Amino acid sequence: MSPQLSTDGVTKRFGGVTAVDDVDIEVEQGEIVGLIGPNGAGKSTLFNCITGALTPNSGTVRLDGEELSELPEHAVAQQGLIRMFQHTRVYGEMTVRENALVSTAEDAGLAGSLTPPGDSTRERASELLEYVGLGGLTDVKAGRLSFGQQKLLEFAMALMREPDVLLMDEPAGGINPAKLNQLIEYIRDVNSERSVTVLLIEHNMEFVMEVADRIYVLAHGETIAEGSPTEIQNNERVLDAYLGRE
Amino acid sequence: MSSLDTSLDRLVPPTRVRAWFEFGGRHAWTLLGVGLLVGAVVPFVVGDGFYLSVAGEMLMFAVLALSWDIVGGQTGYPSFGQMAFFGIGGYVTAIMFRDFGVFWPGLVLAGVLSLVAAAVIGAVVLRLRGGYFAIATLGILLTLTEITRNISITNGVDGISFLSTLPATTFYYVFLGLLGVEAGLLYYLSQTRFGYTLNAIRDDEAKVNAMGVNTTYYKVTAWMLAALFTGMAGGAWSLFNFFIDPLTAYNTAWNVELIAMALLGGTGTIVGPILGGMGLHAIIRLFVETYFTGWQLGLLGLIIIVTIIVVPSGVVGWLEERASAMDYYEHGGGAAGEESGGETGGEPE
Repeated sequence: MSPQLSTDGVTKRFGGVTAVDDVDIEVEQGEIVGLIGPNGAGKSTLFNCITGALTPNSGTVRLDGEELSELPEHAVAQQGLIRMFQHTRVYGEMTVRENALVSTAEDAGLAGSLTPPGDSTRERASELLEYVGLGGLTDVKAGRLSFGQQKLLEFAMALMREPDVLLMDEPAGGINPAKLNQLIEYIRDVNSERSVTVLLIEHNMEFVMEVADRIYVLAHGETIAEGSPTEIQNNERVLDAYLGRE
Repeated sequence: MSSLDTSLDRLVPPTRVRAWFEFGGRHAWTLLGVGLLVGAVVPFVVGDGFYLSVAGEMLMFAVLALSWDIVGGQTGYPSFGQMAFFGIGGYVTAIMFRDFGVFWPGLVLAGVLSLVAAAVIGAVVLRLRGGYFAIATLGILLTLTEITRNISITNGVDGISFLSTLPATTFYYVFLGLLGVEAGLLYYLSQTRFGYTLNAIRDDEAKVNAMGVNTTYYKVTAWMLAALFTGMAGGAWSLFNFFIDPLTAYNTAWNVELIAMALLGGTGTIVGPILGGMGLHAIIRLFVETYFTGWQLGLLGLIIIVTIIVVPSGVVGWLEERASAMDYYEHGGGAAGEESGGETGGEPE
């Protein structure tokens, strides 16, 4: 079976700096894959290359075998690949409910947007907001929510889009450590119940070792290791990279 | 600060403001109908003189400020070239009336040509943001002024003047009709995903893009909508005014005036720009021009400065904020976070 999402020799340079260097990643359908690496390893740049926010200098990105590299960002998202941002991004001046409604995948085009959202969209929005625990805050402006609540709202917005693949950039960043188990549950739940494939960048080792089926390690823009959480924990090169011995 | 807040609380308590907004939300169409009815009666009350033309201009500025706000307020692209479409519309009806003696076909053509011009210009300038967008739109306004000065069909710098056109009442009703249709349309759109998407573009365009929406389509459509109403308002204005020349048609000062109107009333709302447009124009025509002749631009600048410092979201926006100020806590902001598990631990502020 060919992987659902794959990068083949993706390279991105900024002037003289090679941020992502010939990276091959494969994510099978239904997997939860972690992407770790020291600061500046090129994780977010790789995300940007996958989502079309940046155009790689060389290499290809494929989703379900279809090449994405030439598509603009919004077209990549329309293919079912949705990302969440490291610094939470919601529409601050709009209410929580409007944030969810505007993110729907239903009637996606311009013409379809000229009628008020239908009952099924509204129900789905209420259901998802309830699911992430924001059901009581639907009429509040999203900008008034706390950081953690905004993260959950962004999560609900991504689910409104009914993604096949969800890219999460540091989902655990800034979350109260006591609530991390809940977050792991959300991710697993989305993965199994809604059959969403997840690729996530994470700095919190305990978290990523717990949630991921498989992990890629990036350093200096290159993939230095790949394997199960246990394999990664015992990999010499990974320890070297994190301890700066390389 | 706190004593001011306390007296404000007594004067406009959040609960009462919220009741106003809830009432407005429930009866929006009725209120629009009542507004149009009152507007329709005005000519019978004030007669056919100075006050009718002031009332007509007030409606026209409401249309212009509301149009500016579709792109400038709702979508977050403040344009300094809105008057370009006003000029295009104005010249279309003036030329049609001069050459063929007709007004209504000219008015329709003014709308159509403004739409076409907007599609072409919008597809280019709406790729820019912030200061670049502002300068580019201003550049378009100045370019059109120069072109109009130098071609013969517009009669160059001399402009086109008329001894008589249609009765002032006709134009008054054209402005009223434009305002009614535009306000109704925008209110309808504000409840659709189109309206939500414009607001989302204002709040975070890159995010909208990442969510799979081609923002260019939405921006250009909003820009065309604004141009349609601006162009038709300009089309009625040139004959209402009996005269059009490049400097009045593509009036940069008026463009700033519209922005001031929308800011003062409250950008991103529908009532705000309408009240701002009618109110500010009434103040300028009935008060400033009589008692402080020649000071209108200075006063306008002062109003913009004071608005931005004291009520940056405009009068209506400020009231809206008051109405929703307590929402987070009343809906149990903390409790929701407790159950949800994603809480950072700290409450905002």
